[in-house]
Amino acid sequence: MEFHGCEFRPELYYDDEYQVWARREDDGTLTVGMTDISQSIAGKILHVRVRRPGTRRPPGKPVATIESGKWAGPVPNFFDCVIAEANEEVLEDPNLLNIEPYEAWIARVEPVGGPEAALSVMLTGEQAWEGYKARCERDNITCERGIR
Amino acid sequence: MEKHFVDHEEQSVVIVMTSGPSTPQRCATPFYLGALLSSMDADVKIFFTMEGVRLMEPGVAENMAAMEGGKRIIEFIRDAKTAGVKFYVCRPAMPGYKMEEGNLIPEVTATASAGDLADLILTSDRLLFF
Repeated sequence: MEFHGCEFRPELYYDDEYQVWARREDDGTLTVGMTDISQSIAGKILHVRVRRPGTRRPPGKPVATIESGKWAGPVPNFFDCVIAEANEEVLEDPNLLNIEPYEAWIARVEPVGGPEAALSVMLTGEQAWEGYKARCERDNITCERGIR
Repeated sequence: MEKHFVDHEEQSVVIVMTSGPSTPQRCATPFYLGALLSSMDADVKIFFTMEGVRLMEPGVAENMAAMEGGKRIIEFIRDAKTAGVKFYVCRPAMPGYKMEEGNLIPEVTATASAGDLADLILTSDRLLFF
C-alpha cells in the first residue's frame, strides 16, 4: 500500500506520528524500525547509533539516534523495553534505511510488560492506514527511496 | 562496532546562542547538535542572547538558511524542539532588537533573565557557545 509514494504495511504496528514501526516476533521480542515517512524526512542517513544491548529504555527514551546531512534526532520509543539486539548490517550501512525501511530494522527489544501491553499503545491495520495518509497530507510528505 | 553504541549517562547541556541573522551560516549547527544531544538522553537547553534572540522573532528563522537553497533555520529549530530541546530567550537582550515578550515564535519555552543563565551555567554538565 502506498500514499504519496510512502509505503505502508498494514500488518505492522505504528506510533501515531508514523515515525517508527514495530513487528511482533515469535520469541516475544519486538523488532523496531523507521517508517518510509521518517526516512524520507531525514534524507540520506549517514550514521545510526543504538543504545547498547541490555540497556532498559522506558517510554520516551530513544532506542537509537539518527544523523543525516540535514536532520538529527531520535528513533523514539513508546514502551518500556530492554534493547536485545542491534542490526549490525544497518549500523555499518545506514543508507539501507533509505533503501528498504521495512526490511532494514534497527533494533530488537524485549518489552518489559510483554508484547501485548507494548503493542496496545501502537496503531495497526486500517486505523493506522487512515492515520498514515492523514500525516502525509497534513505535513505534505512525499516519500522517496534512496538508491545505491 | 563499538562506535555504533550509545552508552552515555544522562547529562545536562546548555548551548548559549549569540549568533543571529547577520551570520546565518552559524545558525543551523547549534540546533542540529542540540537535537542529536537530546536524542542521546542529554537534557538540552538553548539560551538565546545578544543577536541570537532575533531567531525567536516571528518571520526571521522562516526566511533564513545556513547555506544558499538549504533547509530553513526554522526547520532546524523545530527538529530540535521535537527532539526535546528547550528554548529560553534572554529578556534583557530583547529591547535592543525592539522585540516584545508577547511576540515570539511558539517554539519558545520561556523568557529568562541573565541570572537564569548564570544558574544554568553553574549547574550544567556541559556548556557550549555559538
